[in-house]
Amino acid sequence: MIDLFPDRLPWWIAGPALGVLIVVLFVVANQPLGASGAYVQTSGFLRRRDGVAMWRVWYFVGMFAGGFLVTQVLRSGRELRTGYDALRDAFPLGIVVPMVFAGAILLGYGAGLAGGCTSGHGLCGTAQRSRASVAVTATFMATAIATTAVLQIVTPL
Amino acid sequence: MNMIGLVSGLLFGGILAGANLHEFDSIHNFLRLDDLYIAWFMGSAIAVSAPMLWWLERRGVETPLGGRLALSRSLPEARHFKGGAIFGLGWAIAGTCPAPALVMVSSGALLGLVAIAGIFVGLHLRERQALRELVDLTEQVPAHR
Repeated sequence: MIDLFPDRLPWWIAGPALGVLIVVLFVVANQPLGASGAYVQTSGFLRRRDGVAMWRVWYFVGMFAGGFLVTQVLRSGRELRTGYDALRDAFPLGIVVPMVFAGAILLGYGAGLAGGCTSGHGLCGTAQRSRASVAVTATFMATAIATTAVLQIVTPL
Repeated sequence: MNMIGLVSGLLFGGILAGANLHEFDSIHNFLRLDDLYIAWFMGSAIAVSAPMLWWLERRGVETPLGGRLALSRSLPEARHFKGGAIFGLGWAIAGTCPAPALVMVSSGALLGLVAIAGIFVGLHLRERQALRELVDLTEQVPAHR
């Protein structure tokens, strides 16, 4: 088994590579690399809606496949697991599952309301110097750090 | 364009996996401010892309598939702060966001499926609410307008 990235890539490789990818997608297609938009289009595609941006559905599939390629092929393949190690250490599975589900509903709702997520606003929007994106990014960073601090105090996490 | 979508996704998913962003622990340790890797990762991505985009837009680059490069810049509204706060709450609790959740599943972590399902549900709830607001709005508009 090949193991090209046993540990995570240094940030000074992964970050700039992502920055170049963002620029390339703008230069080629004038489009932002937003993930929540891919969810919206994929959900429209699955429900056979009209006017679906098919390339965002392919983008959705690509993110999954790219992750598979790196974690299963370039890294030594891993068996099925639950994930969420730190959360699993702190809570029984009966709490972890509803917690992840509820958190993810908030993610989806918040991204829908704000019009983007960590990639669309956090990366592409700020890189375009959009003030709305900077506001969204500052707000979710501050809220997430505060929420994590509260979770540390009131739960075994 | 579909091919470009697929390749962009492959590269984005691959970079996220290479950076271990699909692990709950990576995001959680960042939000605990124990490990600032994600801040450097996101910061350097923006530091590379922002000046390049600024320069390319100023040069008036014609993109092969999307016309002249036009960056979108908008002003913050209430929904950006509300949405950002709700998203941040979810980010801290679910310890993932839309793109890393997909990589989580392809790395073999099955709870990622729960996260993906939740994100779909959340986006759907917002979409339905937005449609209702639109209906309310059109009903309020006087007939002569």
